[in-house]
Formats: sequence, C-alpha cells, structure tokens
Amino acid sequence: MNLQVVYCNHHSAALAVRERLAFSSEELLHAAYDRLRVDFPDSEIVVLSTCNRVELYAAHESPDEAPTHQQIARFFADFHQIPLDEFVDDLLEQTGPDAVRHLFEVTSSVDSMVLGEPQIVSQVKEAYDVAMKNDACGPLTNALFQGALRVSARVRTETKLSEGRVSIASVAVGEFGKSIFDRFDDKTVLIIGAGEMAEETLRYLKEEGVRDIIVVNRSLKRAEELAAEWGGRTEPFDKLDECLVAADVIVSTTGADRPIIDVPRFQQVLEKREGRAVFVLDLGAPRDFEPAVGEIDDSVFLYDIDSLEQTCERNRGKRVKEIERAQRLIEEETAKFMHDVYHQATGPVVKRLREEWHDIRRQEVERLNKKLSHLAAEDVREIEQSIERIVNKLLHPPLKALKDEAKEGTPHGLIDAMKRLFHLGD
Amino acid sequence: MPSVTVFCFLASYAVAFGLEIARWFRKISINRIVVLVAAAAGMVAHTIYLLNRSGQTGKPPLLSSTHDWMLVLAWLVIGSYLLLTALNRKLPLGVFLLPVVIVLIIMAYFVSDGPNLRVGPKAAIEQAHSGWVMLHATLLVFGITGVVVGFVLSVMYLYQHRRLKHHQAMANDLALPSLERLARLNRSAVIISVPLLTLGMLFGVFMGLLSRKGPNPISFADPIVISNSIVWLVMLVFFVWLLATRRPVGKQVAWTTIWAFGFLLVTIISLQVLTGDLDVIQTWH
Repeated sequence: MNLQVVYCNHHSAALAVRERLAFSSEELLHAAYDRLRVDFPDSEIVVLSTCNRVELYAAHESPDEAPTHQQIARFFADFHQIPLDEFVDDLLEQTGPDAVRHLFEVTSSVDSMVLGEPQIVSQVKEAYDVAMKNDACGPLTNALFQGALRVSARVRTETKLSEGRVSIASVAVGEFGKSIFDRFDDKTVLIIGAGEMAEETLRYLKEEGVRDIIVVNRSLKRAEELAAEWGGRTEPFDKLDECLVAADVIVSTTGADRPIIDVPRFQQVLEKREGRAVFVLDLGAPRDFEPAVGEIDDSVFLYDIDSLEQTCERNRGKRVKEIERAQRLIEEETAKFMHDVYHQATGPVVKRLREEWHDIRRQEVERLNKKLSHLAAEDVREIEQSIERIVNKLLHPPLKALKDEAKEGTPHGLIDAMKRLFHLGD
Repeated sequence: MPSVTVFCFLASYAVAFGLEIARWFRKISINRIVVLVAAAAGMVAHTIYLLNRSGQTGKPPLLSSTHDWMLVLAWLVIGSYLLLTALNRKLPLGVFLLPVVIVLIIMAYFVSDGPNLRVGPKAAIEQAHSGWVMLHATLLVFGITGVVVGFVLSVMYLYQHRRLKHHQAMANDLALPSLERLARLNRSAVIISVPLLTLGMLFGVFMGLLSRKGPNPISFADPIVISNSIVWLVMLVFFVWLLATRRPVGKQVAWTTIWAFGFLLVTIISLQVLTGDLDVIQTWH
C-alpha cells in the first residue's frame, strides 16, 4: 500500500496562492471529487481545504498506480484554471510515514498557524465525511483519518497545547483588536457569514464584553440561529453596506469564491463613517475583502489570516516544550500506525508461510509416528519438539527479513519473491 | 548633602534608556528591575542636585535659574515615567520618554545657571511678590510637562498606528496602550496643558505689570516674552481646533500635537539656550 499527500499550507504558500487553490464550498469539493474519480480511478482520495491549507491525500494498492506529484499539481491547475507555474513551487509532497506524520500533526494542530486551535479537528472530520459521501475513501484512508482523529484527541489530552489563546479570532483580537480599541462593550460588531469560524469569533468577542452584534449572511435562517445563540440581531444581505458603516469591528468568514467587498464599495462606506477606526478581520479563504481595502484610509485596519503569522510564530516560540511533547506522541503513533499498516500487508504472507511449513511438519511427524510405533511417548514428544524448533528456526530468517523490510514501507518485492519461492499463491 | 553633578543622573538615565532599548529587542526578565533601579537612582541624584542648588541660591529650584527650571521639568517627567513603568510591566514607556528627559538635561547644560536677577530683594519683582512668581513658574512647568507628555503620547500613537497598519507584532511581550486610549490621553494632555500654559502666561503678564512699579521693569518687548506669546497663541489655536472638531481623526491629532508641542518645546528650549548667558533678556523660566 502507498500513501502520499500533496499540499500547500501557510508555511509554504502565501494566502494569495492558497485562496486560489482552495475548495471553498462543498459544491466545489463535490465537483473536485468527480474530476478526481476520472483522473485517478484506482486511488483512495481525501481533500482537506481550510484557510491555512489545501491538501490532497491519496492511497493506492500498488506504487505503480499512484498519481505522481506532477499529476496532482496538474489536477489543481486544471480544476482551478490557474497556470501551473504560478503555484507549483509552493506545492510540497510527503509519502509513507511522513505523510501519516503530517496528517497527525495537522489534526493535532501542531502544524496550525494558531497552535492548539480546535477548529482543525472538525475541519478534518468534515473533509473525511465529504470524501466518504463521494465514495473516495478506502481501507487505508479510513484507517488514516480515524487514526488522525484519535491521535488528535490524545495530543489534546496529554499535552497543554490547547491552553491559552487557541483560536484565530483570539489571536487577532488579542494582538491587533485590543491595540486599536480599549474596550469592546461599546463597539458594534458585524459578522459576515455564519459558519463555525464566525461562531468561534463571536465566542471570543462575547468574552471581551461585546454587546451589539449584527450577523449578516446569505442564508438568513443560519444568521438568525447564530444571532439568537449569541444575543445579536440579523440584517439582510442587501443591507450589508449600512452595517459596514455602523460597525467598529467587522469579522468576515464567508465561503465566497471571490472578494465581496472591493475598494470602490468600501470607499463609499468610508465616506459615511466620519473617520471612525474600523478593525476588519477577514478570515475567508478566498478572502472576502480585497487586500487594497486596507490601504484606502488610515482609519481602516484590515487583517487576514497571514497577518497573524508573526504573532503566531512568537506564541509558538514560547511553547516549544509542549510542541516537542506533542511531536513525541505523534512519532509514537505514526510508528504504531505504520506497523499496523505493514502488518496488514505482510500478515497474509507470514500466516500462509507458517501454516504451510507447520502443515509439512505435522505430516512428517505423523508419518514418523506410524513408522516408529515402538517409541515411547516421551521420545515421540521429544522428536516432535525438535522438528518444530527446526521449522521455527528455518522460518525465522525470511520472516525477520520481511519484518525488517516492512519498517521502510510495504515490501512489495520481498512479498512477491516469497510467494514465488515458497509457492504461496495469492 | 552629598556632592552630585548633572553627569551622575544623566548617566543613570542614559543607562536606563539603553536597557529599555535592550528590553525592546530581547526579552530579559531582570531588565525591567534594572531599568527601574537605574532610573530611580538617577532620580534620587537628580533630587539631591536640585536641593543642593536650591540651598546655594536660596530660592526654590523653579525660581533660582533657567538651568534649574529645566531640570525640574526633567524631574517631573522622570517621576511620571517611574510611576507608570512600576505600575505597568509591559509598557515600554522609557523608549519614548527617556530621550526627552536626556535632551532636557543636556539642554540644561547650555542654559544659564546663574541666579535669577528678576526675583529677590532689589530685583524687578520684589520679595513680597515672589509667591506670584512661584505660581507663574509652577503653572508653566506643569503646562510644559503636559506638553512633553502629549508629545510622547503622539509619538507612541504614530508608532502604534504604523505597527498596526503593517501587521507587526509587539516585541517581547511589551504592549503599548490602544490607539483609542492614546488618543484619549493625548486629548487630555492638550486640554490640561493649554489652560495651564494660558494661566501661566496671564500670571506672567501680571508680573510684568507689577515689575513696572520696581526699579527694573520687565519689557514686554523681551524676545522671549514675544516668542513665548506666539507659541502660546499657536497652542491656543490647536486647543480650540481640538475642541471644535466633532470627531477628530486620531492620526491627524497625533501629528498636529507633535507639530504644535514640538514647536513649543523647540522654541522655548532653543531660546533659553541661545539667550541663556544674556542677562538683558533673562527671564524667570
């Protein structure tokens, strides 16, 4: 079995690249799976797309059938209609245990921009669910993603990674929002979008004392649910500009595939704001605000996900010990997972070889018993044990070789050789 | 009283400033304590120096000479710095405030440290009226302390604004007040300091009128009196603009404060330095 991940994330690619490669809605993901089924029919595939990463996991029975890095890059280019050379250098690849370790680190949020953030678990779960709905999963990806969720729970329980500021909203508001505004209880907060990220942001802003909350979403029903939960009010989407004028803090988390607020539109909003400072947190990927909006006026403070990189790196530096603890756990779990995977791959051969040789041993012992019936029972037992020891000693070198080879990956060559040498068949 | 020179406390403040800069670039937990000790030691030496000077001249430091008056101003600023830094461990105030203190002390070197000829027996203002002189000098020194504070708050505002626009994180767990708070404090500094300066100016005019009864009347054509009046007018215009603007933009206020307050500080200090040795135009401040 072979496993690989081709990906770009906040370490390797700027948001401007990630947002172009992102699968921002479930419809887009369905379309991607349809295309992937055509391009790579024999592969198990899971696509993970968040604001910080776009990752494609692929697993296959035979290494010869595995899609190449280039083929996957070509898929991204064709699907998103982006020239390959504009992002190919930002795409990374991991295979085998490195791919497993990578997913475990992602799900445990060791690889997240905001260390310990909990949203990534539900994002991985959702990606796995969508892959299952699209019949793209198989035995290996099932084991891998279920394992990743289990490892994530273990890391969160056994380390302190989840303590402190562990959401993008908390970092953004803590580092930048509080440097703009002294207090939030007299501010109007506008939430555009009503997804999980919007909810997470509201949770934090509520803790900071926010009282006046406006939720604007294309689906009014979802907006009403969110507003009711957090004591806010809703406004229809066509009144967004009026809400932009009234707001002091704007958090945008829509799944739009292009900016919903451009420079001319926000310029009109600014004319009515009378120079009041506005803190805009654009958590969308693709972004909801055109980046140039932040340059229009001194009173506009616009932040996107990548604006938090420096702060998050500083926070990461403070928690090196916890990261090391988490990585030790992940290393242990990766080794265990790979052992299980290889055991599954080599298990049938080992079992058949053992059974075959011990069958021969049993047959020979029976034949010997018939010929040497005068032997005492104690002597027969001694002979049987001797032959069993010989068989085990003879089995030891090939099985050890198989076990050793399996540590480096599925030993397809050796398995084939053993099948042929010992006539094991399929 | 032990013998203390200006160099003693100037060196202490320079060390404190150096450590504040180091604290900005590298997080060392002991740094803040050392900074506070260095600045506090400087303030003790500063206080002793001012008391010695007062003893020598027989007048309160505010009235004894221009040199002493400027050192009192620096003393008030350093006192504010120590208090605020002790209360807020994350505030890197020294980076902004200590250079002003150091400049004030260096400037004090260049102004006259001779006794004020305008105050005292047989001077322009008689001993009986020295209370009014004291009030005048006190109002001006507090007003200018407010100006220094406003100036520093504006520099902090502009730094914070630039940092936020460029998405930069604050270094080593340090934190500046929010833009909203800096703007509010800046406004308060203007609103407090300009009336104090105005009252100081009015008392100055009153003193000038009083001096006309004495043997050495003060001329209202004195260049320092004229230039200070112009500076005061500029401040008054700024003050009225600030109160009249319904919703002033923070960055605009910060820049205006820097220009107005900077103009005031540079004018007052430069005039004192340039004319420090000329008894003819020496004033009380």
